Order: sequence, then structure tokens, then C-alpha cells
Amino acid sequence: MSEKTVSILRAIGNPNKAKIIAHLAKHRGETAEGIGKHLGYPLPTVYKYLRELEAASAVESEAKGNTRVYFAGDFKLEVSPEKLMEAFEEQTMMDLYKGRFGAEGVEKFNNVAAKAKAGKMTFRQAAATLGITYYEFISLLEEVGALDA
Amino acid sequence: MLKRFVVDSSVLIFYDRKRKLEDFLLAKKKENYKIIIPKAIAQEVIDEPKEFAREIKQTAPESAKRILESVKRFNTAIEQGLIQVENVNYREYSKVIDNVRKHLSRLDAIPEYAVKKGDPELIALVIQLYGEAKEKVFVATLDKGLLKALKPFGGLVDYEVIERT
Repeated sequence: MSEKTVSILRAIGNPNKAKIIAHLAKHRGETAEGIGKHLGYPLPTVYKYLRELEAASAVESEAKGNTRVYFAGDFKLEVSPEKLMEAFEEQTMMDLYKGRFGAEGVEKFNNVAAKAKAGKMTFRQAAATLGITYYEFISLLEEVGALDA
Repeated sequence: MLKRFVVDSSVLIFYDRKRKLEDFLLAKKKENYKIIIPKAIAQEVIDEPKEFAREIKQTAPESAKRILESVKRFNTAIEQGLIQVENVNYREYSKVIDNVRKHLSRLDAIPEYAVKKGDPELIALVIQLYGEAKEKVFVATLDKGLLKALKPFGGLVDYEVIERT
């Protein structure tokens, strides 16, 4: 199964995100404000969902003057129990981290990540403190949304 | 004239995980930036994840596969010249590297030997690139601590931080 298929399956696993795609299929070129108004979602949530949907290639956007408009991505999915199993059996970096360090490790990650995010230590030092690679640390930060603007 | 742009692996890994690495690199190329990373950073996006994938292959094969795909994307970007790996001249910039190590060891309250290689190499590369051409060097990182560490060297180098590129 392609990465794009897996990403889209994950994205539409959330009914709110799926509703955004459905809305965009009908209202091409809608703004984030328009989506929020129509579906009743707070604007920060709409932006978060749109970012995730764009990352999954389930939604596309383009600049139009000073604003950004959104379109449903051009995709087709074939879903079967086997394909779903394949899509969701991959463990997240946090699953892997939890498996190695347990709940205590997660608490330590949260503390160290907060310090690193505040600039009290560099990300590399944070990774070294946790005993993980820099790649894992950045992946974990990305996964928990700590790197989003 | 190409604008020299030192990009931290925090930015590269972030875009790669969002499946937007190639878009980011091509966009910067179009904007006339030449993306340069030191060797230590190349190791962070290639050698270290490759080793990590090998470690988890038995217990998490899908995750290992995904990490190896990421490594492949970085290798391809380097092969295609979208990312240039530069050696830091340790002989010429050893004093700078020592100073960065000292600064980071104070910042993080750790011994100097425990300072990770990527931070001093990245800062030394910024200074080295400026020293070579005496032209502004552009820097991108998501790491505030690293930017703090770069700041005291502002007198030695003309650099500009590109926020959330």
C-alpha cells in the first residue's frame, strides 16, 4: 500500500476531517474561514485539520490574493480489511518510544521537550538526555505537534 | 549569485515527515538558495536513522521500512545536488568549535565532551561560509536553543535566520 493511501486513510479516519474533504468536494476553492463557518469548527482546528489533510495529500490549496483557498485532493481508495490492517499496523515513533522507555520515559520526554522548545537546551542535547537519536527526537516532536507553527 | 543557506536537520526531518522535503528543497532552489549542511547533519538524517531502522526491524518492520524510505529521500536529495554536504575545516575553525562547545556546555549545564557534534559543526559552517565569501549566510532551524548558541557569534558573521521557511 502506498504511503499516500496510508496517509489518506489515517486522515479520513477522523470524521471531522472527512467532513472537510466532503465539503470541499462540493465547495471547490473554499477558504478556511468558510469551512469553519459551514461545519461549525473553530478556526484553529480547521487550520490544524487542513495542514494534516494537505500533508496527507487529501486536500490541496492555492493562494488567491491575500487568502488561501482549498480543494479536495484527487484520490481514490480501495479499502479492504487487509488493506486497513496494513495501513494501521505501523507503530508511531511514540509507540516505539513508549515500548522502550515506558510511561516514565514519556513523562521525561515531555519535560525535556518542553525545555528544548523553550530554547533552554538544544534539540541535540535534548535527544542525548533522553538517550535517543536526533532523528527520533525530531520525529517525536513532529508527531506530538510540537513543531507546528 | 546563489544565496548560501545552512539548514538544520530539524527543518529537513520536519519537512520529510510531512512528505514535503522535495517541495521545500525545490522551492528554495527556485528562490536561488543553495542548501548546505555540515557532515554531522548528514549523519543525523542518513547514518543514525539507518542504524535505528536496523535496530527496530524485527519488532516494528513497517516503521523501519518507513525510516529507510526517509533515508533514501535524503540520499537522493544529496545525489541530485539539492542538498550540498560541506566539510567543516576543523583546523581553521577549531577555536570557533571550542567556543561553541563551551557555550553549549554552559547553556545545557553539561561537560564539554557531552556536547553533540551537530550544533558546533552547524555554527562553525555558518562562520566558515561567511569567511570564504564575506556574504550573508542564511540559516534555518526549528531549534531555539541552537539559535541562542549562534547569537554570540553574530560579531564574526553576517547571517540571517529564515523563520518557518
